[in-house]
Amino acid sequence: MRSSLPTTVDLVTRCRPLLGTFVEITTPDGHGEAVNAAFDMIAHIHARMSFHEPASDLAAIRNALPGERIAVDQETVEVLRTALALHEATNGLFDIAVGRKLVRRGFLPRGDIGPLRQFDGTAADITIEDDKHVSLKRRMLVDLGGIAKGYAVDRAVEVIARQGVPFGLVNAGGDLRAFGPIEWNIGLRDADDLVRSSITIRHCAMASSANLGNRRRLRGSQHTPHIGRNGQPVLAEQRTTVMAEWCVIADAMTKVAMVDPDLADTILSEFKGHILRETLSLGTA
Amino acid sequence: MKRYTLLFSALAAPSAVHATVFMSPEQAQAVMFPGEVLRPDPRQLSDDQVSAIRKASGESPLHRDLKVWRASSGGWFIVDEVVGKHEFITLALALDATGAVKSVEILDYREAYGSQVRDPRWRAQFAGKRAGQSLQLGHEVKNISGATLSSKHVTDGVRRLLATYAIVLAHNS
Repeated sequence: MRSSLPTTVDLVTRCRPLLGTFVEITTPDGHGEAVNAAFDMIAHIHARMSFHEPASDLAAIRNALPGERIAVDQETVEVLRTALALHEATNGLFDIAVGRKLVRRGFLPRGDIGPLRQFDGTAADITIEDDKHVSLKRRMLVDLGGIAKGYAVDRAVEVIARQGVPFGLVNAGGDLRAFGPIEWNIGLRDADDLVRSSITIRHCAMASSANLGNRRRLRGSQHTPHIGRNGQPVLAEQRTTVMAEWCVIADAMTKVAMVDPDLADTILSEFKGHILRETLSLGTA
Repeated sequence: MKRYTLLFSALAAPSAVHATVFMSPEQAQAVMFPGEVLRPDPRQLSDDQVSAIRKASGESPLHRDLKVWRASSGGWFIVDEVVGKHEFITLALALDATGAVKSVEILDYREAYGSQVRDPRWRAQFAGKRAGQSLQLGHEVKNISGATLSSKHVTDGVRRLLATYAIVLAHNS
C-alpha cells in the first residue's frame, strides 16, 4: 500500500567509549532503554574479554595451569567456540593465542605476565568443557582483539532487536551491523585514513582492517598487530573489508582475508559473506 | 546537535528519517541521571588546581571553565572536551555521589571522519548542510568502516576528569 503522506522517524545516535574504540548505536528515537541494555551488554563483554583487565576471563585463562578447570562467562565461551571453529577452518591461520607475539612485539602491554616462553599453546589447546568452563592443554596468552568487537556488535543488535526496535545500526569503531528494512550508507576509510568510497548496506554486517597506521619496528623488521602464517607480520598496504551475515564472522575474517583472500572467500560463502571488492566512489553517487 | 532528514524507500519502512546525531547535554542528563533534577554548578579552575590535575592525571585541562551539574542524588554530571587524533571530542561524564564513574557518553565526535576531513571530496558532501536540511540517504555518509579507531584520548580525558573531581569537586560540595 502506498501512502502519499510520508511517515517520519527521528533517528538518534549514541556513542560510548567501549572495547577500546567508539561504539555508536543508531536507532529510531524513543528506544533509550533498549540502547542502554545494548551498551550494558557491550560493557559486559568488554569487561570479560579485555586483555588488560586483571579481573577479565582472559586474565583467568593466562593464569591457569594446563588441565585446570577455568570458570569463564558464557559470552566468553561463545566467542571461544567461534574462534576455535575458525582456527580449524583456516588451518591455524586465525589463532586467538596470538597474545604472546603481540606482547613480544609491543602491541599489547607486558604487565606482570611473566616469562613469555611458557605461553606456547595455540587455539587447538583450548578445550570447551561446558557453557561456563574451559581448560587448556598448554598455557597461552589469548587475545580476542580480532573477534570480540564483532561479537559484541552482534549481541548488541540482538538485545536491541529483541526489545522491538524496528531498525538500527551498531558500529564498534568500524566493525558494524545493520538490521531492519532500511539502507545505510557506509563510508570506507582507507589504510591511509582517507574516505574515498562508500557502500550501501541493508541487514548485514561488515568489518574492515588495515595496519598502515599501526606498525612497529623491532630488531630491524616491521611489525603489525596482524600475524600471518609461521608468525610472519602481515604488512597490508590496503584496507580489507569483509561483508557477512554476522559481525563476529566479518571481524574475524578480515584478518584471514588480509593473508589468504581465497580461503577467506571460501569460508565466508558459508556465512552469506564475501570480501568487498567493488565500492562506490564518493561524489559519483 | 545536528539534525537532518534521510529519505529512503523500503517496504514497511517509514518514508523519511530525521537523524539526530548524538545527544545534547540535556538529553545526556536525562539518559545518565533518569528521573533526577540537575542544577548547574560551574567551576573555574585556578592555576594551582590546573597544575594539580596535570600532576595527578598526566593530562592538562583544555579549559579553565568546568561545566558541572549536581544531581539530586548527589551525583555529578560533567561536560568536557578532549582532543582526538584530529578533532575535539565532547564527552559527558556521570559520577555517582562517591565520585565513581556511572557512565560516559560521547556528545559530539567528529573523529569518525578522521583525516579525511582534509579530503576536499569528503568535505564537499557536508558543504552547506545545516540543521534541518535534507540529505538523501545513499549520499549521506556518517557511518564509517576502516581500521579501528582508538578511544585512548577519551580514556585519558576521563582520567583527567576523575583527577579534577578529586581536586576540585570532592571536598567542595
